[in-house]
Amino acid sequence: MDQSHIRNFCIIAHIDHGKSTLADRLLEYTGTISKREMAEQILDQMDLEREKGITIKAQAVRMRYTARDGREYELNLIDTPGHVDFSYEVSRSLAACEGAILVVDATQGVEAQTLANLYLAVEADLAIIPVINKIDLASADPEKVATEIYHIGLPRDEIVLASAKEGIGTQDVLEAVVKYVPPPKGAGEMPLRALVFDSKYDAYKGVIAYVRIVDGAISRGDRIEMMQTDSRTEVLEVGYFSPTLVAAGTLSAGEVGYIATGFKNVKDCQVGDTVTLAATPAPEALLGYRPAKPMVFAGIFPVEGDDYPLLRDALDRLKLNDASLVYEPENSVALGFGFRCGFLGLLHMEIIQERLEREYNLDILMTAPSVEYRVLKTNGEELFIHNPAELPAVTQMAKIEEPIMDISIFTPARYIGTIMELVTARRGAFRDMEYLEEDRVHLTYRMPLGELIVDFYDQLKSRTQGYASLDYSFHAYEEADLVKLDLLVNGQSVDALSLITHRDKAQRQGRLLAERLKELIPRQLFEVPIQAAVGSHIIARETVRAMRKNVLAKCYGGDITRKRKLLEKQKEGKKRLKRVGSVEIPQEAFMAMLSLEEE
Amino acid sequence: MAQPSPLAQYVTPPSERLPADPQRLDAEAGRTDVDAQAVDQAGETSDPLLDTISLYLHIPFCHAKCHYCDFNSYAGMLGLRERYVDALLAEIALAGRRSRLPDGAPRRCRTIFFGGGTPSLLTSAQVRALLDAARTHFALDADAEITLEANPGTLEYGHLDELRAAGVNRLSMGAQSFDPALLKWMGRIHTPREIETAFAAARAAGFDSVNLDFIYALPGQSLDTWQRTLDHAAALAPEHLSLYSLIVEEGTPLYTWVSQGRVRPPDDDLAADMYELAEARMAAAGYRHYEVSNWARPGHECRHNLTYWRNLPYIGLGAGAHGWYTGHRYAEARPIREYIARVTATTDASTSLDEHTELPLPAGAVVDDEAIPRELEMAETAMVELRLVEGLRLRAFARRFHTDFQTVFGARLGEVWSAGLLEVEGDMLRLTDRGRLLGNEVFARLLPDTPALS
Repeated sequence: MDQSHIRNFCIIAHIDHGKSTLADRLLEYTGTISKREMAEQILDQMDLEREKGITIKAQAVRMRYTARDGREYELNLIDTPGHVDFSYEVSRSLAACEGAILVVDATQGVEAQTLANLYLAVEADLAIIPVINKIDLASADPEKVATEIYHIGLPRDEIVLASAKEGIGTQDVLEAVVKYVPPPKGAGEMPLRALVFDSKYDAYKGVIAYVRIVDGAISRGDRIEMMQTDSRTEVLEVGYFSPTLVAAGTLSAGEVGYIATGFKNVKDCQVGDTVTLAATPAPEALLGYRPAKPMVFAGIFPVEGDDYPLLRDALDRLKLNDASLVYEPENSVALGFGFRCGFLGLLHMEIIQERLEREYNLDILMTAPSVEYRVLKTNGEELFIHNPAELPAVTQMAKIEEPIMDISIFTPARYIGTIMELVTARRGAFRDMEYLEEDRVHLTYRMPLGELIVDFYDQLKSRTQGYASLDYSFHAYEEADLVKLDLLVNGQSVDALSLITHRDKAQRQGRLLAERLKELIPRQLFEVPIQAAVGSHIIARETVRAMRKNVLAKCYGGDITRKRKLLEKQKEGKKRLKRVGSVEIPQEAFMAMLSLEEE
Repeated sequence: MAQPSPLAQYVTPPSERLPADPQRLDAEAGRTDVDAQAVDQAGETSDPLLDTISLYLHIPFCHAKCHYCDFNSYAGMLGLRERYVDALLAEIALAGRRSRLPDGAPRRCRTIFFGGGTPSLLTSAQVRALLDAARTHFALDADAEITLEANPGTLEYGHLDELRAAGVNRLSMGAQSFDPALLKWMGRIHTPREIETAFAAARAAGFDSVNLDFIYALPGQSLDTWQRTLDHAAALAPEHLSLYSLIVEEGTPLYTWVSQGRVRPPDDDLAADMYELAEARMAAAGYRHYEVSNWARPGHECRHNLTYWRNLPYIGLGAGAHGWYTGHRYAEARPIREYIARVTATTDASTSLDEHTELPLPAGAVVDDEAIPRELEMAETAMVELRLVEGLRLRAFARRFHTDFQTVFGARLGEVWSAGLLEVEGDMLRLTDRGRLLGNEVFARLLPDTPALS
């Protein structure tokens, strides 16, 4: 199709503001998919996505729409992840678009990720169409929300009012896309340049690259070259999403679709790479993406040592569809062989954990998350440490730096005090407070990521009855007085329980952690001392007293079988414990530090 | 990675045998010792008691179901009592036939136990008929121990007198507590006063071997109330006392209450304190602690239960009854009507069938049947024998299984040895005082690592 009739756009929103529901309405309205076919929220394809009500992977769908001007348009909707953990993926999707629909909930107003996503879209130079959604709700206040939207810099008269749930305003949204989103400006006659904005692995077609054709055209059978990796292949198939894969002979400049590459390894076809023709390569690649940078790290260990190869295979397979997952083998004294994994954030970590457990049926144990510290050694060497157990001895370190985040919180004004208190306790520094309206403020802070990943979001939500919203992004590495806190169980240091913390907090955290472990570790046949230590200095001590009673009272009229089954059940239960030395430690203990604060 | 343990000396049994401990308790009050020694000297390897049985008869009727009880018992079904007894009579006959010795003689039966439910809900005529059937179809010892469980709320002198005359020579009463509030809470139908009355009536009827059951670690029970119950019990001077720690069983009202957080049983420390208090009080009152939960005047140890604890064969008959016979553990149908129907079908059919083609089991309403492999039988034997205070007889174990205990289990018991849960004295391996409260820690380690298929 002629580029002037193509519109490439995405929908961005704060979580739960109705992004997916609006996408469904657009697909339905344009007849891309019938109501009957509409499995609930078609764009969120992973089970986990549906369950958590979020989008994790980017998706793209082509729609045909006959506008009020009588002409037919090709609209490509590229879905974007809605969680801050995945803002990296959002920016990837944005690079394939010329416009963005910014959805704002009529009952909630502008939230932290509304703003964060808006900034990303503005940075990508997109046309923005503000849509106020959920106007049918009794508590909707479109006037007030329109004012907020105006305050964040968008023209008030371009706002579309809609209720995706009720199908109100759907046509207006489509018209606005046609009117305000500029058509792509690629050069059809130039050598092929296609941007890979996502990929997934298919057992039959190999790696399927989701692409935006910037210049030129691509057809089935073309020999292609990946400009960064230099990998070459023959195109098995090209096509678009409607919403399932539909083969088409050719994709031309301005269009969005897929290429079945036949590559067996995603490494050959990396997100952000530029596809060109091997015969007539483009002179210059497109500006790709920086590789995703993992922010949160944790050890993943099989509960049964024998499962190690299965865990490795599962991670390899997850990696095929999730380039942002990184991992390397780790050997823990306490937990044996496993992997140190890097994640985009806590949600990403949780999703990987759940997928390993559900899709691969693995019994895994995760250590508490850590961040990546920058250590300058006295010999001048620079190290990045994301496993507390690997922190060099104090005498070898010239300084330690930790990642500091810019954090942004939208909240009703009445919670300012409690948020201030929470952030200060987490070593946060206040930067700015801006009143959006009389009773709503936008707070900005700088805070160590290490403090942010420990239960901060849950605390923020619970202290503000769920009203506050949060967004954050990396600011810089800064030096801090950090120490390693070790936990000794039965006199033996358990590496998987070590953590890096600020010196001022070590005492209190050590005490809380020892207390918590005392509750979590079941009584054993002998007394088990639990100690917290910084260096060789013991800062807290607790004792798990020896078990006193575990015996069945009765013989049940000769029912020995039942007695035996009960014992077998007890025995099975013990398998869920991890043996460290001679002590059996339950899995929750390794996550204990997450629930230490503010009980 | 076998750890050196005091058991090591038994890997190769010493050629000279230690004299039998004269204080030692045995399944047959002295008689087996003689048998066993005779067998030893003859160089034979099997325990003659393995060729005898104990008979368990389950009586599933109750006036009311107690809140903690998950035994196979039913309230409001007394109307089925006659048909049930008929089925039980038929089954005794069947069991007798199927368990005959190779020469066709009936098998020796050493003890009979009427368990429930509430067996005292049977008429004395019914009990007499059942005992007559047992005598007809088994070679019942003249001095067989014949126990009947009774609810103190259902006992009258006349009835007790008739039961005694019918041949019952041991009475086991579910007294449970002397605290009226706790009795009510448990859903018991009797009062503390009725325990005393029933006990006196039993004595008057000539029962000179009486057991009282009590439960401790009840929600709301203090060390103090438990002590009063113990003292009160000791003052009655029964020959035998069973003191059970409350078990919260799935499917009972108590389980629901506990899981909803409406009641909370005492923690393990208090329960352990109660157990240790009981040990002290019972010892002071002249009782001998002979099994985890049982105390007796010397010579009044329950021979029937010793059958379980020595892992000797027993035939269980009745709804939901369990048996252990010819290497099989079996269970019968639990619902009363289903039990009756199955027995009727079996006994009708077997008149025309060659019995040898059927299950090698003596019971007619079998619904579960598990052949116990040798490895498991060794574990089960060790598990139940270690419940006895005197412990497991190492040489008898070696004779029974043609291998010694240390070889089979030594490597798995390192931790419990070093934790001081086990000790060896002479031929006996036993739990220490501390080990008795932690028996499951030892038992679980005895079990084979892969659970038996079931």
